[in-house]
Amino acid sequence: MTFIERLTAIDRRIIYLIIALVTLLPMLFPIAQKVRVMSPVDKCFNAVDTIHADKALIIDFDYTPQDMPELEPMAFAMLRHTFTRRIKILVLCLYVQPLGLAQSALDQISAEFNARAQSNADSIIYGRDYVFLGWQPPPLVPIIGMGESIIRVYPRDYYGNQTDTLPLMKRIKNYGNVELLVSLSSSSIPGSWLQYAQNRFGLKVSAGVTSVSAGDFYPFLQSGQFSGLVVGMKGAAEYEELLTRKLNFHTRRKAGESLSSITFAHLAIILFIIIGNIGFFMKRRKK
Amino acid sequence: MKKTFPLILLMIFGIFGILPSFLPHPVIQGIDSFVLNDLMRIISAFALVLGLGSLLRVHFEKIQRHAENWPYSWILVIAFFVTSIIGLFGGVSGHGILPTHIGSFPFDIQTIYLRMEVPLGGTMFALLAFFMASASYRAFRARSTEATLLLSAAFVVMIGILPLGDRISHRLPAFAQWIMDLPLVAGQRGIGFGIALGGLATELKIILGIERSWLGGAE
Repeated sequence: MTFIERLTAIDRRIIYLIIALVTLLPMLFPIAQKVRVMSPVDKCFNAVDTIHADKALIIDFDYTPQDMPELEPMAFAMLRHTFTRRIKILVLCLYVQPLGLAQSALDQISAEFNARAQSNADSIIYGRDYVFLGWQPPPLVPIIGMGESIIRVYPRDYYGNQTDTLPLMKRIKNYGNVELLVSLSSSSIPGSWLQYAQNRFGLKVSAGVTSVSAGDFYPFLQSGQFSGLVVGMKGAAEYEELLTRKLNFHTRRKAGESLSSITFAHLAIILFIIIGNIGFFMKRRKK
Repeated sequence: MKKTFPLILLMIFGIFGILPSFLPHPVIQGIDSFVLNDLMRIISAFALVLGLGSLLRVHFEKIQRHAENWPYSWILVIAFFVTSIIGLFGGVSGHGILPTHIGSFPFDIQTIYLRMEVPLGGTMFALLAFFMASASYRAFRARSTEATLLLSAAFVVMIGILPLGDRISHRLPAFAQWIMDLPLVAGQRGIGFGIALGGLATELKIILGIERSWLGGAE
């Protein structure tokens, strides 16, 4: 086998091994990365940060275990943001698969705040500070129905409590009492929120999406339909950076820690593409 | 009748799907609210039962006929019934009427989800990184001007969005963001308009009964 042939025929097992190494090693030996915050994330952070005290935020958890590494750090950062600023939140899922992840995120972050709390007022209390509405199929029903009445769509919350007995739900009746909705999803669901909730009821919508699906949502950010857009692990790292910078919130930065792995994986992929192309051009010239 | 009735139903619901966007009349809006809030929920409940029934029937048939990979169907059927029973009677966090732990070993629905579905789903998706690296090495070639442009844009965005891009040049992240904000949006809008117009034409053809292939058969 000539040198040129070798360039275009690297064994796939070698590629797999290199990708495994460049992904794993930076996780074991993390390198500090300075994150530059871009405007789409800054807009999203500000949209959440400026929610009025009498209004609520809805977070639509629609990520599955497959896209969890990218979207869960966003969810954690957003929950920390809202709990720090004492913004009231309603959490829901439009599909059944994300329910467990939403419950896990709420349990984890509320426990984190409650471990530091010194009084009842400092604590994050279910029903008073947040409500987990759960899942109600099909997706179009809650998107449109909540514009008229949230309690009608969700007569019971995820844990089986009657929603009209929860203190928070006594003042959050419909989209009129909601200032912003953030959709964390890897599917086209953020577009459906725009199409039905924003067009019909004027609800402000932001989105947190995976890197691979981001291209579909940029037109809606440019048109001003999305109040902000958080894209992939880098977007989550930017949100974490804003939490530290603007709210002086210091905690483990899951997305920020993963950026080194992504950097080296991207570099490895670029290197493989360049090697493949060098081999391709050399072969073509030889012919 | 087998074909006429579904066509009439589709035409009625299709027209009632369009009308509320143009007519603010309370009767039209009331019907729309009933269809979207109540009727769709009832239909989706039937669809759920139908879907689960169909899934089980397919796998029971596979087991009966000893079709290819039939032992896996047993895994699906057993997992289906075990998780359904635990989920229905054990409660969402293990506080239902069914005991969901043996000593310190929990098996409530949330634990099953976090300990089984999350790692399995994550593992499947993580494999993509390896396939993508291998596929891009073999297939991503600068064969033409368009392919070279695509390749260059991909490199700029891949490096520019990361902190490394900022270290190389302060202008690189801004350039990567510009690619996402302008050329990408322009392309996406064009594709979006095309899809929307095509969709509109197809929907009108279906509602008016011109396009009938969804009914099945050659007619």
